[in-house]
Amino acid sequence: MIAVQIVNGLMEGMMLFLIASGLTLIFGITRIVNFAHGSFYMLGAFLTYQFSPYLLPGTVGGFVLSVLAAALCMMLLGMLFELLVLRRIYGSDDLMQLIITVALVLVIRDAVRMIWGRNDVVVSMPEGLSGALQIGGSFFPVFQLAIFGAGVLVLAVMVMVIRFTRAGILLRAATDDRGMVALLGINQSLIFTGVFAVGSFLAGLAGGLAAPFGNINYLLDTTVIVTAFIVVVIGGLGNLYGALAAALAVGVLKGLGVLFFPRLSMVLIFLIMAGVLIVRSLGREAVGK
Amino acid sequence: MTVSRYRKFTVVTALAAFAMLSGAAFAQQPIKIGYAADMSGVCGPLVDGATKAFKLGVEELNKSGGLLGRKIEVIERDTKTRPDEGAKEVRDLIVNHKVDVVTGVCSSAVLLAETAVSAEFKVPFYSAIGSTQTANIEKWQPYFWQTQPNALMEAVAAAEYVARNKNWKKIVPLAYDYEWGHTSVKAFSEHLKKLRPDVEIAAMVPVKLGETNLTSYITAVLAQKPDAVYGAIFGGGLVNLVKQGKGFGFFQQTNLVTLTTVDFLQSMGADMPDRGMSGFSRAPFYALLDNAKAKAFTEAFKARYNKDPDDWAVLAYDGLMFYAEAVKQAKSTRAEDLMKAVTSIRYAGLRGNMVVRPLDGQMNAPSWVGTVGKNPNYPYMVLKDLVRIEADKTMPTEAAIKAGRAAAK
Repeated sequence: MIAVQIVNGLMEGMMLFLIASGLTLIFGITRIVNFAHGSFYMLGAFLTYQFSPYLLPGTVGGFVLSVLAAALCMMLLGMLFELLVLRRIYGSDDLMQLIITVALVLVIRDAVRMIWGRNDVVVSMPEGLSGALQIGGSFFPVFQLAIFGAGVLVLAVMVMVIRFTRAGILLRAATDDRGMVALLGINQSLIFTGVFAVGSFLAGLAGGLAAPFGNINYLLDTTVIVTAFIVVVIGGLGNLYGALAAALAVGVLKGLGVLFFPRLSMVLIFLIMAGVLIVRSLGREAVGK
Repeated sequence: MTVSRYRKFTVVTALAAFAMLSGAAFAQQPIKIGYAADMSGVCGPLVDGATKAFKLGVEELNKSGGLLGRKIEVIERDTKTRPDEGAKEVRDLIVNHKVDVVTGVCSSAVLLAETAVSAEFKVPFYSAIGSTQTANIEKWQPYFWQTQPNALMEAVAAAEYVARNKNWKKIVPLAYDYEWGHTSVKAFSEHLKKLRPDVEIAAMVPVKLGETNLTSYITAVLAQKPDAVYGAIFGGGLVNLVKQGKGFGFFQQTNLVTLTTVDFLQSMGADMPDRGMSGFSRAPFYALLDNAKAKAFTEAFKARYNKDPDDWAVLAYDGLMFYAEAVKQAKSTRAEDLMKAVTSIRYAGLRGNMVVRPLDGQMNAPSWVGTVGKNPNYPYMVLKDLVRIEADKTMPTEAAIKAGRAAAK
């Protein structure tokens, strides 16, 4: 039973990682805390809902196509948002980015409510991914195993790009010292736009992949952004591997928490976050001394 | 006729005309309904169908000449499913807009906040969706009534259904971790124990409200190998439970008994498992089509909105028509006259003959229980082998209400 909950937790953790990866990537490079990340996730889910009846409905291939189409749309929207709005506020007060990204949250939420209404919408599970894989007496959901696979794939691609490509080298350099990268004649704004586009793509991808997993409505943005922030904060803002470790830990902890202390399982996660924040700040103080 | 007489005549006629005109103007004063609904927030998706049906009902009443010769005017407010916002809006509706009645609420917490304001200003308030029994028992006030089965009654109906399945020996309750979930599980367990002392009821598995990933809860429940799971969970959470449960073979291993309202059945569509699902419903239109009024309403709703009405829509419409009937019988919208009518009239509505009990303002609303399955008439699954459980089986007794009120003091 404990093993089942751990496996379950890992699968849930990978879903959290998919959500959090884009957020932490954007923050790591641009230092923008994108509150609208949850809204991009939600839009990704709604667009998948919109596309799926037209692209080989009911099949795994059709589902993947719908998700990719939705993620690309989000990438485009993210790029536009960065080019038209965010570009004007880099380096200004933190409050400004808060106001602008929260404004986008409200705009997207109202737009979603106008287009798709207030009721829940449901994306059907593709035929090949529904059902359970029975191993011994335990059932493992095929869909979540597939999501786990998708998470590993995204992670592998991200690591490859960051480690072995020129874009990745520039990204790492920009994370360490943005000023120096600019001095070396690298077009910094291009990096920022690119990162925002990739981050938004990841948000849309996560939303699309998770779409058949549960209900979708215009309130999804807030639910998602809170969990994503918890993961990113525990993992260390801007730290991709930290986000992965945090997402998996949160997933497993929730699984075990429900089993052993059902009423405390959510509190446990917040306690860890509080603990991480306290320990970090202690560290800073020590360095200061 | 002399000049002075002529003058007198004109003055008197003018005065009479003025009096008649102003009287007519007075008669034309609309009846104002404050519709303070949880349009956004957690309840938003549920309130949607209800609001559509409510508007349809008001239009119908106005087309047929309004009530007591007065038009009905609705003032809409969004409580955002927040108790403080609900109380604020209702206060504003009463004080600044002088509404005659308040309705529209969905969430239990908002209901309790709004009923307190209604009591303070002695303005009638009724609930057609929000269903906490606290408003009938501990926090009861004489200007309140509710027209759907309250949470206690619904849980008792679920227990009646579970008790009929003789081969179910172990039940695990899975419920939202807030007032409604806890009271439902308590009432369900107590009633089931009475009906079937041989059944083992495990400790409740609490689910955080708003949680979207329920997989850990699903595996924790299945580990206990229950014959049935009583799910006091609704809306999006329920959709998630079913969709995610399928991946764990939930419906091959056990049975889920839960709130299966039409909006849920519609949104699940073809994703609904065709075995292992059963539940209770508050006002399923498809069970009411023998009733001419319900049939007419269903057709009108479908013609206007191009979809079947969900339970919330039926309840909102029926609640409004009950109010209209009470106003007609009372021949007044004055709170005291209206409340006398509310608690004494017999109303032939969409769900049959209804009365409201003076003791707690609870309507004798029935519940429906059955098994989820295909029906060729609808593109989504509905409840089959429906049993209508009458309120006399589910309403708390006078003694229980008095005991509840005494304990709360």
